[in-house]
Amino acid sequence: MRISATVLATAALVAGLAGCGSSGSAGSAASAGSAGGGSAGGAGVKIGMSVSTLNNPYFVQFRDGAQAAAARLGAALTVTDAQNDASQQVNQVQNFTSQNMKAIIINPVDSDAAAPAVKAADRVSIPVIAADRGVNGAEVAQTVASDNVAGGRYAAQELAKAVGGSGKVVVLQGVPGTSASRDRGQGFTEGIKAYPGIQVVAQQPADFDRTKGLDVMTNLLQSHPDLNGVFAENDEMALGAVKALGAKAGQQVKVVGFDGTPEGLKAVAAGTMTATIAQQPKLLGQRAVEAAVKAANGETIAKTVAVPVKVATKANVAQFQTS
Amino acid sequence: MAVSSNVLVQRRSPAAVWLAENGALVALVVLVVGLSVLSSDFLSVTNLLNVGVQAAVTAILAFGSTFVIVTGGIDLSVGSVAALSAIALAWGATPAGWPWPVATVAGLAVGVACGLVNAVLIAYGKLPPFIATLAMLGVARGLALVISQGSPIELPAQVAHLGDTIGRYLPVPVIVMVVMGVVAAVILNRTYAGRAMYAIGGNEEAARLSGIKVDRQKLITYALSGGFAAVAGIVLASRLASAQPQAATGYELDAIAAVVIGGASLSGGKGRALGTFVGALILAVLRNGLNLLSVSAFWQQVVIGVVIALAVLVDTLRRRETS
Amino acid sequence: MTGDILRAEGLRKQFPGVLALDGVDLSLRAGEVHVLLGENGAGKSTLIKILSGAYHPDGGRVVMDGRPVRIRSAGDARALGIATIYQEFNLVPQLTVAENLALGRPPRRFGLVDRARMERDAAGLLARVDVRVDPRTPVGRLGIARMQMVEIAKALALEARILIMDEPTAVLTTGEVEKLFAIVRQLRDEGVSIVFITHHLEEIPQIGDRVTVLRDGRSVAEVPASTPHDELVRLMVGRPIDQQYPRQRARPGEPLLRVTGLTRRGVFADVSFEVRAGEVVGVAGLVGAGRTEVARAVFGADHYDAGEVTVNGRRLPPGDVHAAMEAGLGLVPEDRKGQGLVLGAAVAENLGLVTLRDATRAGFVDRRGQRSAAAKVADQLGIRMAGLDQEVRTLSGGNQQKVVIGKWLVAGARVLILDEPTRGVDVGARVEIYQLVNELTAAGDAVLMISSDLPEVLGMSDRILVMARGRLVGELPAAGATQDDVMAMAVAEVEGGRVQ
Repeated sequence: MRISATVLATAALVAGLAGCGSSGSAGSAASAGSAGGGSAGGAGVKIGMSVSTLNNPYFVQFRDGAQAAAARLGAALTVTDAQNDASQQVNQVQNFTSQNMKAIIINPVDSDAAAPAVKAADRVSIPVIAADRGVNGAEVAQTVASDNVAGGRYAAQELAKAVGGSGKVVVLQGVPGTSASRDRGQGFTEGIKAYPGIQVVAQQPADFDRTKGLDVMTNLLQSHPDLNGVFAENDEMALGAVKALGAKAGQQVKVVGFDGTPEGLKAVAAGTMTATIAQQPKLLGQRAVEAAVKAANGETIAKTVAVPVKVATKANVAQFQTS
Repeated sequence: MAVSSNVLVQRRSPAAVWLAENGALVALVVLVVGLSVLSSDFLSVTNLLNVGVQAAVTAILAFGSTFVIVTGGIDLSVGSVAALSAIALAWGATPAGWPWPVATVAGLAVGVACGLVNAVLIAYGKLPPFIATLAMLGVARGLALVISQGSPIELPAQVAHLGDTIGRYLPVPVIVMVVMGVVAAVILNRTYAGRAMYAIGGNEEAARLSGIKVDRQKLITYALSGGFAAVAGIVLASRLASAQPQAATGYELDAIAAVVIGGASLSGGKGRALGTFVGALILAVLRNGLNLLSVSAFWQQVVIGVVIALAVLVDTLRRRETS
Repeated sequence: MTGDILRAEGLRKQFPGVLALDGVDLSLRAGEVHVLLGENGAGKSTLIKILSGAYHPDGGRVVMDGRPVRIRSAGDARALGIATIYQEFNLVPQLTVAENLALGRPPRRFGLVDRARMERDAAGLLARVDVRVDPRTPVGRLGIARMQMVEIAKALALEARILIMDEPTAVLTTGEVEKLFAIVRQLRDEGVSIVFITHHLEEIPQIGDRVTVLRDGRSVAEVPASTPHDELVRLMVGRPIDQQYPRQRARPGEPLLRVTGLTRRGVFADVSFEVRAGEVVGVAGLVGAGRTEVARAVFGADHYDAGEVTVNGRRLPPGDVHAAMEAGLGLVPEDRKGQGLVLGAAVAENLGLVTLRDATRAGFVDRRGQRSAAAKVADQLGIRMAGLDQEVRTLSGGNQQKVVIGKWLVAGARVLILDEPTRGVDVGARVEIYQLVNELTAAGDAVLMISSDLPEVLGMSDRILVMARGRLVGELPAAGATQDDVMAMAVAEVEGGRVQ
């Protein structure tokens, strides 16, 4: 009695959710198939894409770029959300292999943990494209990623320029141990070496989180009231720092962020942020799908594609905001 | 072990009794003195006010959790409910265009409603509190993302004033925290609902056989927890002037830590608002101090974990001595 | 003094606010059953906790085999061959009998637990205590009596030379007690020394060799087990108790509680009775006869399928404790710690539990009024405590019981249901509770008293109801009734059918 009730409830719930979901992934796949008749090469190619999380505007844009490219090429793209759970992502990729996808795009939750999933696809000879983050310990057909290290270097240059080549700066770090935090930090450290007048007085974690960016910045202002610049490893933390700096933001203290999120770009336009290193998530998604279609058709593709990052400043911010 | 502890018990002076009863407060004082010595920036009015502001959200959440923990329950959903309430407020005010007072009431009502759902599942559905509120943790977070479509929503300016500072030295979040703390203390000490919480947490069956309507009191308890979470969520959003769907992720654990550091027992029947307040301050002081001292990102997590374990350990040992 | 396997000399133990032991001596010979007698709070528990390593004394010493020993932990006690069986068993209900017997030191082979040997060992131990049970049975499925035997077997497994038993008979039926005594005698004859705590004075000559009497933390006498009953009582309480059951009958008035046709399928059926103002109605019967279940249903703690409960002319809705309370009903439950008290809360809090709602105005509790009411009742009942803020957990059993009764007095309940009101309560406090019952009935209140202690039922009731197998099987006036009369009724019906 009780069991059957549970089963019924679950079934009802699943049916209801499937109804909601169909407007998203399944629907887009179908429309992509029908709309792509004119394009060459990709017609009807089934591609599975596992995104690390859709709980972040950046990856939403990444997905949008991928879907647009799939529609243009006539490929049938299925998107799944791994919800930042590496094991869930492995399951999703395994499901793709059993669904006879012709190519798989993985945006790894974790570069190391993605390896088993990629190996599983390799065994059945389905090409895998890694997007945004690399995969360690398994062969992928191609890695499409923003150049985070280069981005860090650009950030150092922009910040140095803004503070006039000398002064005290702090770094707000992302979640400790993530590759984005590591690469951006490394690029920044390398880049800032070129400016001996600039002293990095503190590097503290704020976990890519806006509230924490606000709190940590407030605290750092206590120990370093004479600060000239802040590099935040993402825009969320940069926006928190701007909040903490109040009227000082953009005036005595220059803030450089990373990602080029809509809100970050707005702050750059308003002048409270000096610059943000804009990634191009849509382009990233597009490149990934293009590579996937080629790989599915047996074409040879390059091992790595670096999608350029761009510096968005007040001068050129408008072009990012429209795109 | 037994020898030393019993001797200790025997020779207790009133001062020693006070110290043992207020272990968390002693720990806080030690922490403050230690940090004052280690960092010259720590002991300034501005910095201490910063600590207060940074403690506010955790403290308000923790006051709500104190009610639940005193009844012997647990509420894992407070972080998600905080985010959902703030999103509901911002959504009501901006896209839906309600007057801001209506939107604010709606935000608070959403928090209380989440609490009531938790309570119904626990009191009438007989789900363990851990499971019921774990489910709510997911549901509330998900709804916040659905309503906001994953992007932050701007907060009405009138509500955003909650994040301001009146004059130089009166941050509104601190005022809200103190008011909520006093409300929590009055509820726990002076009201029927509060005294019933202690009775239920101490011995649910004895409370029932003494005429206390246990199920109804649980409704009140979890509704209060949800309401306090809503206030915390609104304060959090006001500090950023925007409601973020992923705000306060993981804050439920900080709230529980604050309550337990403050001397409450997870098995119920024990806990005080003042203790919880001190617990929240300990966490905030610790994070602030680690920033000021420029402790590395990796070590910060170790230190915070160790302090939580130590604070509760000291408390447990003390209890063992007196029992 | 030769032949003493263990001697305690001048043991002292201080707790915050209480001097629990103030010079206690005990001499235990090899192969004797030594009864430890004393009121609750006299220091028996503290003494055995010192001997078993749970407490460390502040003064005095323990000598074993002529040498002073320090027992700093349960491990030390075990190494010295001292095993203790508390009222709350140290068994894991989910594990099997064999696993419990081998707990912490299972036989191993190649690093793995050797289940076959474990079960063989268990079977041997169970045979020694004459318990026929499959060693693979989970302990939770055994009854209390057999669980106790498993505890004894566990002590044997540890090759204990001294076995301390804390009120082992409190939870047993008469037949089970006989069986326990047989095992205890057998162990004694094998040379094991047994420290035996009991409140049942009539058990002492049956099982004991010598008796040490504790009073107010001191050992006041060591006497042979053949010492007359009255003398033992005098030693325990320090004064003779002229009348153990000082019932003063009042003239019954209007019926206050009327129960008609109360039925709960499978538990009890068609129970009807009434209790009048000024009356004490005793309910006798075997354990499992359904007495507690009826009491809980009357009070609204459990639901019932049919029947009617009226208090003071008001019909009570079923399953509504609050309504029962409002009507003037109060329940002092059988399980004092589990159902009657918030152990971690103060005396004042517990006394005010029932009146919390009434002392609330606009959501706020009048805590000062609550406290003064609690102080008055605590004084009236003579609750021995350090203060109203003392945790109830740290009170003796008798004083805890007074708190449970007290909360209903604060609430002004007119009909009190007392379920085993004196179980685990010492003689002194017991008489105080009886006096209280007298005062209540003299003032026109009514008491329904469930008790398995037949002399108590006979001594304190005006009328006695007898239950068996979920039915009321008889009623007799207490005056002139004998234990045999009551037992005959309680057992006779057992031959008949069960409640369906």
